[in-house]
Amino acid sequence: MSERALAIWLLLPAGLLLGFVALYPVVRLIYTSFFQFQLTLGPEGSFIGLANYAAAFEDPRFWNALKNTVLIVLITVPGALLVGLLLALLANLPFRVKWPVRLGLLLPWALPLVFVGLIFQWFFDSQYGVVNDWIMRLGGERQFWLFKPDLAFIAICFTIIWKTSSFVALILLAGLQTIPKELYEAAQVDGASRWQSFWRITLPLLTPAILVAMIFRTITAFQTFDIPYAMTKGGPGNATETLAMYVRVTSIENLNFGYGSALAVLLFLLSMVITVIYLRYIRGADD
Amino acid sequence: MKKLFWLLVAVLVMSTALAQQTRLRVFVGGQQRPDVMRKIFDLYQSRNPGVRVDVEVGGATSDQQQQYLTTVLASRDPSIDVILIDVIRPAQYAAAKWADTLDKYLPSATRQALLQQYLPAYAKANVIGGNLVALPSFADAQFLYYRKDLLEKYGLKPPVTWDEAIKQAQTILAGERNPNLNGIGFMGNISEGTVCSFLLPIWAAGGDVDEGGKLVLTEAQARASLQFWLDLMDKHKVAPPNMAEKAQDTIRQEMQAGRWIFGTLFAYAWNRFQNDADSQVKGKIGVVPLPRFEGGRSASCLGGWQWTISDFSKNKAQAYKLVRFLSSPEVSKILAIDASNLPVFPSLYRDADVLKANPWFADALPVVQAARARPVHPRYPEVADVMRKALNAVLARIKTPDAAAKEVIDGLRAIYR
Repeated sequence: MSERALAIWLLLPAGLLLGFVALYPVVRLIYTSFFQFQLTLGPEGSFIGLANYAAAFEDPRFWNALKNTVLIVLITVPGALLVGLLLALLANLPFRVKWPVRLGLLLPWALPLVFVGLIFQWFFDSQYGVVNDWIMRLGGERQFWLFKPDLAFIAICFTIIWKTSSFVALILLAGLQTIPKELYEAAQVDGASRWQSFWRITLPLLTPAILVAMIFRTITAFQTFDIPYAMTKGGPGNATETLAMYVRVTSIENLNFGYGSALAVLLFLLSMVITVIYLRYIRGADD
Repeated sequence: MKKLFWLLVAVLVMSTALAQQTRLRVFVGGQQRPDVMRKIFDLYQSRNPGVRVDVEVGGATSDQQQQYLTTVLASRDPSIDVILIDVIRPAQYAAAKWADTLDKYLPSATRQALLQQYLPAYAKANVIGGNLVALPSFADAQFLYYRKDLLEKYGLKPPVTWDEAIKQAQTILAGERNPNLNGIGFMGNISEGTVCSFLLPIWAAGGDVDEGGKLVLTEAQARASLQFWLDLMDKHKVAPPNMAEKAQDTIRQEMQAGRWIFGTLFAYAWNRFQNDADSQVKGKIGVVPLPRFEGGRSASCLGGWQWTISDFSKNKAQAYKLVRFLSSPEVSKILAIDASNLPVFPSLYRDADVLKANPWFADALPVVQAARARPVHPRYPEVADVMRKALNAVLARIKTPDAAAKEVIDGLRAIYR
């Protein structure tokens, strides 16, 4: 057996597994999206070409969910990046007692998303929530956090940033620790201020790590589901419904697998486009 | 050597007996007392030595259970034989061809006689397009729970109309001057209970959503319902302004802590009020049918659970025998006594043993008999979504009753076309 053939044989199990768990569902999803396939109308589907996609573009609920999803991306990705950077810089400081910062970094990251959603639902509850308690102790008015569209959006974005910035911080911390200390010492000798060394050394050398964190954060932000689902169920009305939530309602509750698949493909395309743009950026940065 | 031979024979006989044993897998929800269900299955096993019944326990709410079941059934998985489903689902199961129709086991005369024994609403809910899709397990309905002690203190009788209920709540709230006390509690968050909230005023005024599969709900009726609940908060001040975030169990917990005069809740609340260690309202709660409007009728939202056979089961005949047992008066009585589930047979509401365990069942029968089913439609989840989102949006004050009523009618027309 030639070395090449051996390599193919050795790679085959992994390739098959990957094909089975990753490729097959995606192909199947795209295939289903071309069908009128709703179990409540009968167990069989019929081919309708691109009609599901045409329906999506005329569906106000799709556009509303898309708008909400994009808003969440635009708010929470920079938000998590900023908070995450601050956390990473804090964790990178030579404190003697490291565990409080490390715990603060790991805890939000380790908590399951739904738990976080439920915890913050209680925090923001208008009657029993701690947030309103603080506001009213400070002399403010009771706010209906979870069922005024703007406030619900703020509450959800705040929660997502709290939950995800620790993930960003972990990646950035790893990046920070690869920056050689000598660079800072040299900068100090040359009379650079801390601010200058942050802008001239830390930030440029951290860019690859920031880009990696941004890619992961953006893709997961497009798929936002758990936190708004636990906090508002998409309410009031559909005011905080994301695309992933609409996909779930369409397929799992309404049993409309054809249309649900089309919506999922659109979500997939959106993430793809963003990823490709980022990857281009990274390659550009490497050159 | 001889001994060994007989031992071998014994092993062979036993293993063929084991092989002949039918195993049935039954799916029940986590909130449906799997322990009591197990007891019932044990009873069945002792009478039918050839059958072994395994229980699979699902999530704690109807939605969670159905999410899992959708995955199992949409992939035509034969592992589950019998399923306990919510009263809103038979139409969906029939349309998706997930349920085995029971007619092939039942001659039409027998079927007629069998269905007549149950509360009429359940016979109706389980026959879809002329086919019997499921058989009832236990009943449920929405009741008006009220604070007996407070109504007595102000010399009031339980309300018959909504106007009375509102006036009584206002009187008591004005007299008590307790900032933690509220008037009339109802579901307003995005949940199945809010669908019932939306429907109650429509039924109480004499209307309905569909008739013979045709949409009959008018925009005016929908608007009146949305306006009614909004008015409880804004005009009559008998509900706090945050009803858009109230789930059924939130109202139950608050009423248990003594924070509501009236509450529209399903049957499960009663036992929590009476038996929970932290209940502040033990012995202080009464139950009456839901109020009607002047000139309308009293109506409650029908709940309840049904046994259906998966169309993908490989033991349908055995499953059918089990389902007949599970939907019998004997099991209904066990469920009433051990799990406090409302019976599906009217006669059991007068049964001495049942009343000893649950004295309040005597008051429950008229409510269950007057309960109305939510729309029976294969696309019910979409119907429900339209209605609960509309009421939730009105209570959150992001839509006016006018705008939301128009959306309800447009949304329902698209589904009922």
